[in-house]
Amino acid sequence: MFPSIDWHLISLECLITAAFVALVVMDILLPKDSRDDRIGISSFIALAGLIGFWLTQRNLSGTSFGGMFSMDSLAWFFKGLFLLAMVFVFAMTGQFFKSLGGRRNEFYLLLWLALLGMCLMASSNDLLLLFISIEILTISLYVMTAYLKSDKHSLEAGMKYLILGALSSGFFLFGASFLYGVTHSTRFEAIQNYAATHAMDPAAAFGLVMVFAAIGFKIASVPFHMWVPDVYQGAPTPVTALLSVGSKAAGFVVVIRLFFGIFAAWHGQWSLVLAVLAAMTMCYGNLAAMFQTNIKRLFGYSSIGHAGYLLMGVAAGSVLGASAVNFYLLGYLFTNLAAFLVIVLFFNAVGSDEIKDYAGLSRRSGLLSCAMLLALVSLAGIPPLVGFFGKFALLMATVQSGFVWLALIAAANIVVSLYYYLLVAKRIYVDAPHGPASPIPVSRPMQWLLGIAMAGILIIGIYQGPFLDAAALAFKGMHF
Amino acid sequence: MMISNPLSYILLLPAVALLLLFFVPGQRTSLIRSVANAGILLSSLLSVWVFSSYNHTAGGFQFIENVPWVPALGISYHLGVDGVNSVLVLLLGICSLAAVLLSASIKERVKEYYILLLLVVIGTYWAFLSLDIFFFYFAHEIATVPAFLLIAVWGSERKEYGAMKLTLYLTAGASLALIGLLGLYFGLGLGTFDLVAIQQHLSAHPLPMDVQNWVFPLIVLGFGVTLTLWPFYTWAPVGYATAPTAVSMLHAGVIKKLGAYAILRFAILLMPQAAHNWMPIVATLAVFNILYCGLVALTRRDLKYVLGYSSCSHMGYILLGLACMNVIGLNGVVFLMFAHGIMAALAFALVGAVEDQTKTRNMDELGGLAKQMPFIATCFSMAALASAGVPGFANFVAEIMVLLGAWDQYRWQTVAAVLGIVLTAVYMLKAIRLAFQGPVNARWAGLTDAQTPLQKLPFILLLGALIIVGCWPLLILNHVGNIYVPIH
Repeated sequence: MFPSIDWHLISLECLITAAFVALVVMDILLPKDSRDDRIGISSFIALAGLIGFWLTQRNLSGTSFGGMFSMDSLAWFFKGLFLLAMVFVFAMTGQFFKSLGGRRNEFYLLLWLALLGMCLMASSNDLLLLFISIEILTISLYVMTAYLKSDKHSLEAGMKYLILGALSSGFFLFGASFLYGVTHSTRFEAIQNYAATHAMDPAAAFGLVMVFAAIGFKIASVPFHMWVPDVYQGAPTPVTALLSVGSKAAGFVVVIRLFFGIFAAWHGQWSLVLAVLAAMTMCYGNLAAMFQTNIKRLFGYSSIGHAGYLLMGVAAGSVLGASAVNFYLLGYLFTNLAAFLVIVLFFNAVGSDEIKDYAGLSRRSGLLSCAMLLALVSLAGIPPLVGFFGKFALLMATVQSGFVWLALIAAANIVVSLYYYLLVAKRIYVDAPHGPASPIPVSRPMQWLLGIAMAGILIIGIYQGPFLDAAALAFKGMHF
Repeated sequence: MMISNPLSYILLLPAVALLLLFFVPGQRTSLIRSVANAGILLSSLLSVWVFSSYNHTAGGFQFIENVPWVPALGISYHLGVDGVNSVLVLLLGICSLAAVLLSASIKERVKEYYILLLLVVIGTYWAFLSLDIFFFYFAHEIATVPAFLLIAVWGSERKEYGAMKLTLYLTAGASLALIGLLGLYFGLGLGTFDLVAIQQHLSAHPLPMDVQNWVFPLIVLGFGVTLTLWPFYTWAPVGYATAPTAVSMLHAGVIKKLGAYAILRFAILLMPQAAHNWMPIVATLAVFNILYCGLVALTRRDLKYVLGYSSCSHMGYILLGLACMNVIGLNGVVFLMFAHGIMAALAFALVGAVEDQTKTRNMDELGGLAKQMPFIATCFSMAALASAGVPGFANFVAEIMVLLGAWDQYRWQTVAAVLGIVLTAVYMLKAIRLAFQGPVNARWAGLTDAQTPLQKLPFILLLGALIIVGCWPLLILNHVGNIYVPIH
């Protein structure tokens, strides 16, 4: 007998798939040598429609496919993040391939697949669906990472990502099989019932650790971070942006479901482990970032550092901790996308990702340098920018749950991160440009997009209340 | 929504000027200067008005503005002044006006300069005015971090090192203090960052000692960095020396007082029991501040370094006064914050005026400047005398109050502090002799003094404040007099 299916709940994913299929057809029908960007423009229009549709889904809640797929406020919140991130990533893609030329149509299609995978991840309510959605996301990322066939960094990055990603998929299945063996189900409710009624046993603990290893790979947590610097540096910049914002957020929605929902009953056993992981992750990321000379690699290490901060909120295990994680990811989205947009536009004009070439950028483009400065200072956690309030909320949650030592380590990390972010700011604002300070033109649509990102950094940073409430509401309406 | 509170306008007017600057093209420097000057002038006038219309017989917090901001965490946009911060707001009003007028010597990238300077001034005002602990921290960071670019772009030799060191030290201290403040928040369990609510609650139910004993040192140590507590002062001399004049003035004059203000408000007055355990240690460190930094100041040849170390040395008196925890000592501290702030701003402004023309601050290369610059030299001598605690200047009254307050509890520390006054006199007089007196160096024959009234105005403003308050200390002390002291 088939379980009842509520198509309404999964309508967003259906529409994404429909858009994907329509674009594939369009790609086939369009003449091969067409140099214009019709797929990109159609993607934008489809994305705008989807965001409008997403807004109507606010109060949607329930499970479908016999409980495999669940739609709740948490899923809704994260799907919004993914759609918003995609707007920026599509724009970056259009710009990025302007300088490289060549086939970008398949790239757009892969981005649509990645979006589908992320949205399914946010709604997964079953280990199997979770695995499938992770694979949809990751496989499209493999291809996109190695997309620049003639660039050996891109190929190396794709290879590294593929091998380590396959390994982490193996971990996931291994862990899931243990969880199934212990709980006799892959459904999240069943596992949660088991955790609520049993003490933690070694087999279940092993399963949890293995599943977390796979998710840790997605969120770039130590010790599953090895791929990050090379892949961030080698991948086409839009993919790096997607990895740092979308893929990381998709990992965290699963982390929240795992540790605040399914295994909440075992909070006492895992909080200390997560706290230690958080400390190691942020220290590794921030200390290694100090010595980077490539801006994308720097952002790779900084992304590891931010995963560490985010894990603090998970270790805290409180409502405030989860709300802080959601809020932080929202702020991180605007901040990182502003930075990567600048990196793409700068690369188009100058053809370099080396930090030393950013020297004197402030004399070449006021807008680009201002956007980069805001992003850097916000990532360092300085008010009145959004990164500050995110860190503040995370530190609050950490102190509240008694991990004062972890809060002190985080405070030290904030200083370290400020150091390397300010070094980039110094290049941009203080150093003299190497060659002639020719202005870097920024097209009108890109100006708007940068403006939106900067407005997000400033407005959410100053008027934090409604956004924190939304982040808390997303967590409180979670199905568990 | 109508904003009727003058304190909100103190923040709003420079903020409007800042926004306007974004829309002025960068080449129109005179327009940029006028907009920035107007924004600061208006908030300075308002700060004088707030100071003079504060009703000191009624006491307590006045001009209160309270808007809930993040209700979920108990954060509110809460402004108000009492006897303590009304004085500090006046200090900032005077110093910021002088600093922005002296910024006329900045010729490069004028627009960015004024935007950042306005940001620093707004942040400092906000920190002093905020009665919400969250927004105090928020504003403290806004006041300190833009200095990185101000120093790194417009500073002098080793500017990048100085800028980085200052920013990292201050942020490290502030982050440490933030953990302490969060510990206070959760130790109280009130779910609010509102200082007034916390004060009321604590006067009836003191915090448990085990919370006080870890929260208190974090706050004192963290904000102690801002206040150049020995041995965490090393960022200050190099930071001030490399910064452009206006930034040295604001930092040495006003921003480091944020540290003293925070220690007073959030540590000593909220956790007096822990203060009894910890402040004797601070009193001892204060002696290191006074004597060690004083001795280093004696050995420096660079005028700005002399002033920088001198400023760290004088923070020892503020720390000693904080450690007394009695009425006269704490009154003296607030008074000294004001007096030292004006004096330090004046001294850095004068050295800046000299350096603008000579391009050097080395006392051995200078000499006989009083011939060419009688006005600057006279003002510098006055500032030096004030710094050395000569009667007639505000510093004398303030230092005497601190020493009187400290005598009963800290005998040997007080004796050492008196020695520090002698040290100050020695290095200040040496600076006057080497830089301004003696044979005229032929290199400096072409120097010009401050001539127009507008050029003299900033110096006259600061010197005037120093003398008026020195002769009539009650002007300040009436305000400070009703400071709330939890235990005697």
